[in-house]
Amino acid sequence: MELRDSNYNKNDYVETASGNKVCRQTVLCGSQNIILQGKVIVQAEAIIRGDLANVKTGRYCIISREAVLRPPSKKFSKVVAFFPLSIGDHVFIGERTLVNAAQIGSYVHIGKNCVIGRRCVLKDCCVIEDNTVLAPETVVPPFARYSGSPAVQTGELPECHADLMIDYTRSYYQHFQPLPK
Amino acid sequence: MSYITGPEVVSYACTCGLLKPIPQLYFCRHCSQLRCGFCVCHEVDSIFCGKCSENIPSAEARVKKNRCASCFNCPSCHQELSTRIATKGPVVNPEDAKQPSPHKKTYYLSCYFCRWNSRDVGIPDQGSATGAWPERENVHAHRLQEIMDTYKQVMMSQKQQKENDKKKQRGKFVSFTDRTGVTSSAIRKRIGLPDIPHAMLKKPNPPEPAVAKLEVEELPDSLFTDPVNLLEITTIEQRHLQPETQAATVDMLFPIHKQLSIKRSLRCRRCEHNVSKPEYNPNSVKFKIQLFAYYHIPEVRIVTVEPLRAGKTCELILKFTNPTQHETTIAIKYVDLEQQATYVEEQKLSDVIEVLEQLSLQQPTSLPSLSGSQPSSLLSLTPRQPSITVKPRKINEEVNCDVAIPDSSFILPPRDDAAEYDDSTDTHNIEDDPKLVKWRKSNKAFIKLQVTPMAHLEVGKEVICGFTMQHIYTNVIATTIENKLPQKYEHNVRVFLRLGNVVGQE
Repeated sequence: MELRDSNYNKNDYVETASGNKVCRQTVLCGSQNIILQGKVIVQAEAIIRGDLANVKTGRYCIISREAVLRPPSKKFSKVVAFFPLSIGDHVFIGERTLVNAAQIGSYVHIGKNCVIGRRCVLKDCCVIEDNTVLAPETVVPPFARYSGSPAVQTGELPECHADLMIDYTRSYYQHFQPLPK
Repeated sequence: MSYITGPEVVSYACTCGLLKPIPQLYFCRHCSQLRCGFCVCHEVDSIFCGKCSENIPSAEARVKKNRCASCFNCPSCHQELSTRIATKGPVVNPEDAKQPSPHKKTYYLSCYFCRWNSRDVGIPDQGSATGAWPERENVHAHRLQEIMDTYKQVMMSQKQQKENDKKKQRGKFVSFTDRTGVTSSAIRKRIGLPDIPHAMLKKPNPPEPAVAKLEVEELPDSLFTDPVNLLEITTIEQRHLQPETQAATVDMLFPIHKQLSIKRSLRCRRCEHNVSKPEYNPNSVKFKIQLFAYYHIPEVRIVTVEPLRAGKTCELILKFTNPTQHETTIAIKYVDLEQQATYVEEQKLSDVIEVLEQLSLQQPTSLPSLSGSQPSSLLSLTPRQPSITVKPRKINEEVNCDVAIPDSSFILPPRDDAAEYDDSTDTHNIEDDPKLVKWRKSNKAFIKLQVTPMAHLEVGKEVICGFTMQHIYTNVIATTIENKLPQKYEHNVRVFLRLGNVVGQE
């Protein structure tokens, strides 16, 4: 199915020179530590915790409503340290999803209401289905489809998944247009 | 995005008659046919561990029973285990405490999901992170090995028996089937000595048969008197994860080595050309050979469909995308399910002919040529086993909606990756039939079609329509040396659309 236009109120969003569209009703803590590479959409009520550690996303990422991006922590003998969270290109993060991963590759699709556990590594080209809980420190290999709680591999992806994700995130960006006045 | 998560709305009929969404199809350039996962040959390209991303040679994988040596899964919940540093070991050795080495780190395995850890079952902490974790010996390992050896021998002797039978058929001709050339048994035969069977090929010794016992131990009394604590008893799933030991209680669970994953290459069964070959690196998502239908066949997507009412014509808008670097012309034709049925019959017939031909060919090929004109490498090549071809079948889809076939066709320009950055002009000097083409942008076109669900359909019934998409396919591989120009020909694909359910009358 072809995507439908999704409209937003022009006053609610800030558009940067590189094409990022960030909603004003978001919580971006430590914004100096947050890098959005361009054409990234951050929708209403999303939370990005840049105050804990650096958060870097690639191009054409979609962070849906009420999603939480939080850099992962690691407990050492005395202190707790936070590690940067890096996200590749063409990544979709669904609504009300908590991402606590260390690394998310490119062409990754994460559904809604998911919990991506602490210090998970999601390699390129993988799909986390809706309502999945990924246990901490899980490594998701390429071309894997994970679902369930705790998440297990339930399928594999077609080889052209990278192009499907490119097409999806691009058309999502193109269809994300301000409301006509 | 129906390809990634949603239902399969648009499906294409593979040459074999199965319906698949386009990302799951392959396009063999050499036979110019669609192929699905069932009509390609799957070959293991490389074996790797999904957690540590390490390639493991196939021989090593076989020895390790296709499991990673260094990664473990939790025996309780089957999630991945993490290695943790024991900062304050519970077992403080009084001798260690005296020595001035407080920084001695020890490691243990722990599951972050269910909080199981290796100390629960009494596995001692290890001195190194990769750790030589103790393996549990299977009590029946020796017996199993014995039985396996025997059956290997049985297999070998049967193989030998078959070879011998073949030799007998060939008369006194020397066998060149062995890759190494003339075998010792062949020489023996040539000079007239009797063939000595190989030591391994002697009649296999049967293993000691299992002995039936009449005397069995009595069940312990505790089994009847003690209350059952289900928390201590393993579940069926947990036991099945460890088929060798099948621990009955949780304190007997041991970490499981992680199962390895594979990368595979796919090969067309008809022409034996590769349609997909991944890169060697386990983390790479690129391909050396990628003949996916998504890159060659125009993609069809449903944009909008008017409410479907039985017997009423409604408008359907489809989006066609040309993924190739060549211009194509698309015509929409009537889908003929009979055509597939006749194709099935034709294939059956041609198979019979092929078998007959092979039978007649077998006579000359079985005679080995001893002239020496051919290079020895050719001689020693074992004949390639013909791969099993999938028999085509009828398309199993009930079309219950008529599509008004448009009279004209439309052109799709080639794909241009730079078009995305070029907003200024969208000039295309293509004269379109305004009744057919609603709108177009770069390599995409939005097409209007009139569909009529059949009159007898009840409310709530799913409407399925189908058409044949005829497109011009440009084949860039040079088939012959003289013919270097890309060849163009018409290729037909049958497309089926699930439009949704019939709604009631207004």
